[in-house]
Amino acid sequence: MSGSIRIDIRVPLDRFTLDVVWESSERWMGIFGHSGAGKTTILEAVAGLRGDVTGRIEIGGRAWLDTARGVRLPPQLRGVGYLPQDLRLFPHRTVMGNLLAGGRRARRTASERLAPSRVLRMLELEQVRESAISELSGGEMRRVALGRALCSGPELMLLDEPLGGLDLPLRRRILPYLLQVQREFDIPTLCVSHDASEIRMLSGEVAVLDRGRLIARGRPEEVFTDPAVLPIAREDGFENILRGRVVERAEATATIELEPGLTVMVPGRALAQADEAVVGIRAEDLILAVDAPTGLSAQNMPGGSILEIREAAGGDPTPDRHEADERVLVVVALGRAPTRVVAAITRKALLRLDLKPGMPVHLIFKTHACRVLAAL
Amino acid sequence: MLSRTLAALLSAAALTAIDARAASDPPTEITVDAAASLSDHLLPIVPLLISLKVAFWATLAILPVGVALGLLLARRDFPGKSVVETVATLPLVLPPTAVGYLLLRLLASNGPLGERTLGIDLDLIFTWKGAALASALMALPLVARTARVAFEQVDPKLEAMGRTLGLGNVAVFTTITLPLARRGLTAAAILGYSRALGEFGATVIVAGNIPGRTQTLALAIFSDMQIGRDDEAMVLIAITVALSFAAVWTVEMLMRRRAVSR
Repeated sequence: MSGSIRIDIRVPLDRFTLDVVWESSERWMGIFGHSGAGKTTILEAVAGLRGDVTGRIEIGGRAWLDTARGVRLPPQLRGVGYLPQDLRLFPHRTVMGNLLAGGRRARRTASERLAPSRVLRMLELEQVRESAISELSGGEMRRVALGRALCSGPELMLLDEPLGGLDLPLRRRILPYLLQVQREFDIPTLCVSHDASEIRMLSGEVAVLDRGRLIARGRPEEVFTDPAVLPIAREDGFENILRGRVVERAEATATIELEPGLTVMVPGRALAQADEAVVGIRAEDLILAVDAPTGLSAQNMPGGSILEIREAAGGDPTPDRHEADERVLVVVALGRAPTRVVAAITRKALLRLDLKPGMPVHLIFKTHACRVLAAL
Repeated sequence: MLSRTLAALLSAAALTAIDARAASDPPTEITVDAAASLSDHLLPIVPLLISLKVAFWATLAILPVGVALGLLLARRDFPGKSVVETVATLPLVLPPTAVGYLLLRLLASNGPLGERTLGIDLDLIFTWKGAALASALMALPLVARTARVAFEQVDPKLEAMGRTLGLGNVAVFTTITLPLARRGLTAAAILGYSRALGEFGATVIVAGNIPGRTQTLALAIFSDMQIGRDDEAMVLIAITVALSFAAVWTVEMLMRRRAVSR
């Protein structure tokens, strides 16, 4: 089963026509967009739950939809593992009953990897395996819905806002399961979200959906600094996602090694030694310095060099916009990998420091500017 | 479910008793007077057993029809849907005697379903089977409507979810729709059963009022009242009140538990 996905579809919606063309061979694909942009519609179209879709959908070389040739596979013949936003768990079945709901297809297609017992263990649902759905907590319900999709032997997972509506502690509990699923099961996944960080953590390739059209696609760190995408992503700002291993654990802090010789100090309460940590730092919380700073309380000041400067050109020039609000995104390369980190600064600062691509800079940020998103 | 099993057992017992009785009876022309004198010798248990038997078979006959109709009305749009809805509701509002008479004409030997047309005798007129058929028809609107509501309360998104998990239409129906609608469908069966228990007008026209054969509780109450056997009538009325109370109360409980579990 190859991981390639080809979508070329049109769906008439109330306010616009969804028109999406996307080909990717990436395992984890993400679609970012505001609510109402048509994200869920894409998932429903791929799952076969909409009758008003025209065009082509080809997954792993098999046509699920090809209206020109009269092909329209019903949902039960498509093989998706759908995690809808509202979960749609079967209230008349236990946790195990839900996991086994798609068992018939799983026995036909899937390997041992997706055995319910293994999924149950990985999602830590063994304690509640015989519980009724109404007895579960919100986080447990989400894991059951995820497990049910996995246990059905899917060729393609469809995740609709998998962390949507969860507060940070709960996110921190659910996210590791998703990353674990990503790592262990290696099922091609299409994930949609209005949360840029969520998409960035989970996707190898992202596309940005705006009023029914894809306006950008590519590697996450490129797409989210794309001037065309900035106005859409601006609302919640840009959050850098860093991954590393915990090499040192002090009382309330932890030191994470992104690569040998490049470490970051973060709040440590949610972490343990040797954990793999996923950490978010907002672009607005980063300070750039051209000279090595001294006498600062900030614990993190890694050095790197400017890769690129991106201005939100052509953005919305509203008359009451202050000059100071004009943000410029500076992409800084840290280490050898390199780790790309985006800092948001004002235009004034850019001009004052006369920043240019290739210049060496230091990134300065406080330990508590980092939020630990997940620990594995 | 328990009440139905019980009814089945009682019916079987009644059937043997009544058949034995019927065989010993001389074949006579039955008039109202004769019926009245005959009912002198019958205990209240006899009309009760006939009622239970008739209602049991009426429910069994109408449940698949009502459930299918309820599902159709709840889940499908088709041309003429409102006509189907209205026709299925008619037995609820028409005088039962009108429905009974139409049924009688349909089943009469020269009618569309009569012996002369079909070539076989369905043996429905003036038999308990006819009473069951008449009661079934009268119970249809109640069963179909309750079943429809039961199906409408099943979230179609859950059924769609089942499809994405690889379940075909039949599997979705048996493993998702049916279990989720089960309380409502049980209520439909009980309501249909209660309606059939109390049926009078259509039954008396199709099946007559033959003590020991087609005389149900409702008919026996009428006969007793007509000849002034008030005490006997009250006994029968007490039995019907108890039965109806139990049935309606069970339905209320089923509905309430569903409301809570949602």
